[in-house]
Amino acid sequence: MFTPGSKLFLGLTGFVIAVSVIYVALVDSSVGGAVALLSVAIGTALLAGLSLFNRDGEVAVGDVAAPAGAEPLTSSMWPLVATVGFVGVVAGLLTHPIVFFLGLIALLAAGVEWLIQSWSEGASSDKTYNASIRGRMLHPLEFPVLALVGLGVIIISFSRVMLAVSKDAGAIIFIIAGAAVLFVGSVFALKPSLKKTLVVGVCVAGAVGVAASGIAAASNGLRDDLVKAKKEHHFSHKECGEEEGEHFDHLAEGTISLRSNVVATIELRDGKLTARELGVDKVTQTITFPRSNDATIIFRNKDEKEVRLTAFLGTKAVQDGVVEEVLNCTQMIGIDHEQALTFKIAKPSMASDKPYTLTVPGLEGQSIEIMVP
Amino acid sequence: MSTKIRRIVAGVSGLAATSFLAGCAKDAPQDTWQPKGTNAKIIDDLQQPVFAIAGVIGVIVTCAVIYCIIKFRDRGQAMPEQTHGKPALEIGMTILPALILAGVGVFTFRTVFDLSKTSDTQMVVNVTGQQWWWEYDYPAQPEMGITAPIITSGQMIIPVGTKVLLRETSRDVIHSYWIPALNGKRDAVPGRVHTLRLDADKPGIYAGQCTEFCGLSHANMRMETVALSKEDFAAWVANQLTNAKSPAEKTLAKEGEGVFLNQCVRCHQVNGLKKADGTPAIAAPDENVWSGAAPNLTHLMSRNTFAGASFDLLSPKCRADVWGASSETVGKKYLAGVSEECLNQTDLRRWLRNAPAMKPMYADPAKLTSTNGKYRGMPNLGLTEDDIDKLVAYLSTLK
Ligand code: HEC
Ligand SMILES: [Cu+2]
Repeated sequence: MFTPGSKLFLGLTGFVIAVSVIYVALVDSSVGGAVALLSVAIGTALLAGLSLFNRDGEVAVGDVAAPAGAEPLTSSMWPLVATVGFVGVVAGLLTHPIVFFLGLIALLAAGVEWLIQSWSEGASSDKTYNASIRGRMLHPLEFPVLALVGLGVIIISFSRVMLAVSKDAGAIIFIIAGAAVLFVGSVFALKPSLKKTLVVGVCVAGAVGVAASGIAAASNGLRDDLVKAKKEHHFSHKECGEEEGEHFDHLAEGTISLRSNVVATIELRDGKLTARELGVDKVTQTITFPRSNDATIIFRNKDEKEVRLTAFLGTKAVQDGVVEEVLNCTQMIGIDHEQALTFKIAKPSMASDKPYTLTVPGLEGQSIEIMVP
Repeated sequence: MSTKIRRIVAGVSGLAATSFLAGCAKDAPQDTWQPKGTNAKIIDDLQQPVFAIAGVIGVIVTCAVIYCIIKFRDRGQAMPEQTHGKPALEIGMTILPALILAGVGVFTFRTVFDLSKTSDTQMVVNVTGQQWWWEYDYPAQPEMGITAPIITSGQMIIPVGTKVLLRETSRDVIHSYWIPALNGKRDAVPGRVHTLRLDADKPGIYAGQCTEFCGLSHANMRMETVALSKEDFAAWVANQLTNAKSPAEKTLAKEGEGVFLNQCVRCHQVNGLKKADGTPAIAAPDENVWSGAAPNLTHLMSRNTFAGASFDLLSPKCRADVWGASSETVGKKYLAGVSEECLNQTDLRRWLRNAPAMKPMYADPAKLTSTNGKYRGMPNLGLTEDDIDKLVAYLSTLK
């Protein structure tokens, strides 16, 4: 005797098997997709067997009479979630660990929910009471998870949008979105009599809108300059020469708040580079810099053109026989502007063939020696 | 008297007696009431009157409280009339302390500004804290006879009567440099350079310790400032500017140098030490120690304490001779360094045998995941007694 439930699952099983045959034949003969589809078939077949075995959980079917006052049980979506989770686990084993873990989470969640739901449904004959104990058990788990998932979806979607549009458009979108949230929120707060369905409708529409634009933006990819930056690694690459760098010197900072407690202040004035060490009222051409310790200097440009300060910090072997200079530098500093430069020199001066120095590229004959004890 | 009251009285008088007797300690080198330098005296000039004022007020308040407790104790008398508020008295009692604090405040501010003065500095020493020892480096200062940078640890040497500016920083966590006899304390903060001025009136060895909790061996992070006469200081500088000489061939010390090259040079620098191929041996503490530094041992035997000044390099008898010397003779005795007879073999050998057993350090190779395999402190290197004999012979040559 096939119960309605088992009929559904049997039909689904047959359908999925058919689909997988077609898929292998027409779309992709590699094993991944077929395994995914077949495991769906296994899952649905399992469920078909289960519902056949317990007759859809309906005690009223067949020879046993239902007790007086018994109501039909609530339908459950958890078997379906469990199936999806199972598929995820199997597919994840073949594709990407993240799919596996998402599947595992879905499987576990479905297991817990299903268990507690069926347990609560048998708790008493009072349906509302059963629902309430289910809620008491599961809401502390469900609500935070749902909130997290909801927030995550919105944050990720919004960030995709911001990464896809230009910086200017980003600012405008942010202002409009923020203002809209503030406005709608204020209306909700000021008019508590609004219909609940309206409030929920607006919120859902908003969330769906954000998620949809997120998906659209993500499929569009990053904006051009970010794509380029990623390709060229230019955020980590400092151009320490005389020329203005294409990326590194973009939007140079010209003022700093850290003015005290630095090792030394280096100043360029009238084509002369001089140093002043902390606590010493004297101008010098040699500064002592701590060994193997991050420390900071300030570079101040009092000259007539834009320049940078470049620190030569020794050499390092990059491959056999190939030695590269280790440089660090400020950005191009405008006239009357200043910038802090933090660096570390691991080895004492005696370990370097050439002295460690601070120079201004393009300015001959001026350098400050860095003594590392 | 009931037993309860008797117990309380006994407890209180015991405590009082202990604190009183503690004040009589003879060997108390970190006594803040005995300033030995200009800045310490500036602080003392403030703390003496403040302590006196606070003491007088404290005595008055205590007496008044005791008087009230006894005079108005419960003898079953009727409840006295309850009054609420006495504006004149309350306002008076607010204004009077405010005035006292304002008075103290004025002098405190003056002292703070006096102490932070650096414009007349005569000499500079960079002081770097790390778990759990202090490193000192002296930038080249030809006017002080320092023609090339000097680097040492644990004991900082300064010329007497000279205004020395310490530029403090740290390689890991916050430490604090404090020589009570010479000045107040100043934190050494990673990424920042803080200044502190010291000077000493008379030659002597002035003890101190790190006063900012800095982890496992904070209690073993001590230091000394040694003040020498100008001539003695010049002699110390001249010696520090020399490189270590390789011991003669076929000696135990020469074998020790070999062990040192194998085992120790990856952390410890000895200036002038050459590898077998004749190139200078450059230490790499930056690759092996979390803070990126280990003490420079070029002139180990010119200092008389080691490992964060926690242990003596001098045997007890020789130590008493140097540390107990008068200010006239201490310089010569200090400069003599650690001779063969005076070397504290026990503690140095114990250190080489198993350093972390002597001073708690994070030096178990199996537990260094949080520091990417780098040590915090010196590990137990599993040396044989044979190697230790050789190393002691070699280290003794590092005068
Ligand atoms: C992994 C790095 C490392 C190695 C290897 C090492 N040490 Fe050390 N050593 C240190 C550190 C760090 C200290 C400072 C410990 C402290 O005081 O807290 C130190 C301290 C010392 C001191 C005391 C120095 C002073 O002035 O306070 C001596 C002496 C010493 N080591 C000798 C040796 C010898 C000899 C060897 C070779 C057998 C050796 N060390 C190997 C890291 C190392
Ligand atoms: Cu410390």
